[in-house]
Amino acid sequence: MLKLQQKTTQTMLALHGWGAVIFGLLLYWVILTGTIAVFADDINDWASPLPAAIPETFPLGTDAMLRKAAADVAPEYLDELIVFATAGGRIRAFFHTHAEAEDGEHPEEKGVLFVFDPASGDILQRFEGTQSEIEAQSHYGKLGHFLVEWHVQLHVPSPWGLMLTGILGLSLLVACVSGFAMHRHLVKDAFLRRRRGGDVLSHKDAHVMASTWNLPFAFILAFTGSFYSLAGAFAIPAIAMVAFGGDQEKLIETVQGLPPAEDPRPAEMANIDAMLEDVRAAGHRTRFLTVDHWGRQDARISVFPWQAEGELLPKGYAFDAQTGENLGEKPALGQSPSLGSDLVALMGPLHFGNFAGWLSKTVWFALGFAGAYVCISGLTLWVKRREQQKTWQYLLRATLWSAWGLPLALVAAAAAYLLQQAGVLAGAVEPLMFKAFGLCLALSGILAGIVRRVTGVRRILVISLGLGLCALVALRLLLGGPGWVSAATSGLTAVVVLDVALLLGGAWLLRREWRQTLALPEEPLIDTGDMEVNTP
Amino acid sequence: MAGTRTEKIWRFVLAGPLVLLATLIIMAGSSLWLPEGQAQVNNFVIPVVLLPAIWAVLFFYSVLDRLGRASVVIFILTAVHAALIAQHLLQAQQ
Repeated sequence: MLKLQQKTTQTMLALHGWGAVIFGLLLYWVILTGTIAVFADDINDWASPLPAAIPETFPLGTDAMLRKAAADVAPEYLDELIVFATAGGRIRAFFHTHAEAEDGEHPEEKGVLFVFDPASGDILQRFEGTQSEIEAQSHYGKLGHFLVEWHVQLHVPSPWGLMLTGILGLSLLVACVSGFAMHRHLVKDAFLRRRRGGDVLSHKDAHVMASTWNLPFAFILAFTGSFYSLAGAFAIPAIAMVAFGGDQEKLIETVQGLPPAEDPRPAEMANIDAMLEDVRAAGHRTRFLTVDHWGRQDARISVFPWQAEGELLPKGYAFDAQTGENLGEKPALGQSPSLGSDLVALMGPLHFGNFAGWLSKTVWFALGFAGAYVCISGLTLWVKRREQQKTWQYLLRATLWSAWGLPLALVAAAAAYLLQQAGVLAGAVEPLMFKAFGLCLALSGILAGIVRRVTGVRRILVISLGLGLCALVALRLLLGGPGWVSAATSGLTAVVVLDVALLLGGAWLLRREWRQTLALPEEPLIDTGDMEVNTP
Repeated sequence: MAGTRTEKIWRFVLAGPLVLLATLIIMAGSSLWLPEGQAQVNNFVIPVVLLPAIWAVLFFYSVLDRLGRASVVIFILTAVHAALIAQHLLQAQQ
């Protein structure tokens, strides 16, 4: 229990409340989309599965696929190669160079993207152009990417989107610290839940209990999230300007090491399958790999695996491109281990919860979900305390719109993805997802504004979301996606698990709404100040 | 956060944009006095990692301490780091 002066407590209360009123809704968007994005890879596997699961992300034969692709690109695109897995375990290889963009200032990657079926080694897709042109055409992995972009920068162009989410992260940090300071009885608050209908006290108990349990996690997410956003938006450019006098090459040399002397003479590349096997033998699963100067004497190969069981920090391996010799582990930053490099490496697992597979991701999802609930319950509590002031009813309507309208719009975007992939909707997938998302959000916003009673707004949106979640599963099956028996026997775990999760989520929402409808009095309040919203 | 209207406005400006600016300058300036470490990355990586912490400390200090004292302390911290940056950039140009 913290003993604060009355004035300090008042200041903390003002920071907590007004910070939430100003940033709460956008913060909810960022937290909710981030929570769902914990499973972005699994969502991609669910939306675009291969006929059968791929036992190894980069199976034997990866080397042959890359050699086939390397023989099919212009020599300048052999400058750099990045290979990683995408939806369903497909392999995505981007041979590219850094071309100058039309504005003459910003370099843009230009090259050829190949998408391989890892089981057969066949090229499924081939796109050539600048990275933005390629991204506009490809669709594998776009559903997860759509979610991640909402979380990372709210689809606002860089650096403004990153600055915005960075400031939202800092506001969450303030909410955590001020909330902790205001807790008078931390242990008691974690268990106290007085159920007295829809009064202020029960709203407060629900908010305080959820936030107390969620406090350490929210603090970690706020810290790591604002680090990621602000580092990319302005901290790294600023520090590069000061510490290296604006010399980007010097910065890259310090972080990545001196590149080998230029030697464009052709050279046979060592077998990449053997390198991947070497990484597997060390207990790691490859996440992605990079190759500089493919087919030249000065080629470099790096393999970056997921953390092995019991490991927290990710690592990387360097290989000799000609002999295939394992040159050892690469620190995340710099040429030798350091505190700074370990701190940066620690930010990833702490933020993404990806250090123990499904288990840690499920915990991160649950805690993230609790964080989203805390945002909405806090805003509802704020309005509940100002029940007599009709102006605040607009905030309640906006809160309900965000709470239920955002997930509903995400369901609409996922439906658009499935329809485009099945060929029902024509055109690039991202604009289609945006249209579906925007249309659904606009409709739910209009609804939140015109339905007379606040309870009615919530009821319509919750029922729509419940039905939408169930309909998404039906749509996937109707469009020719694998059935449950076929998915289960083919090892497509993500398909089965996510289908069940969507159906359970939808059914739970419908049941919850049905029970709340039964519990309501027959003639509830009819003015716009009716606040019989028990929970958001 | 009681006080006159002017004090409230100044507190808002100090805790908002000025603290953000101070954070940026202190973070960048710290890279000039923090030890590099064997890998020569600690001096510029650690301030970036600690950016949210630097901001949080300055922010809460700016809203909780006496306005005058908070303004002076934050100004001095910022000015010292700005001077370090200016000196470093001038030396680099010569």
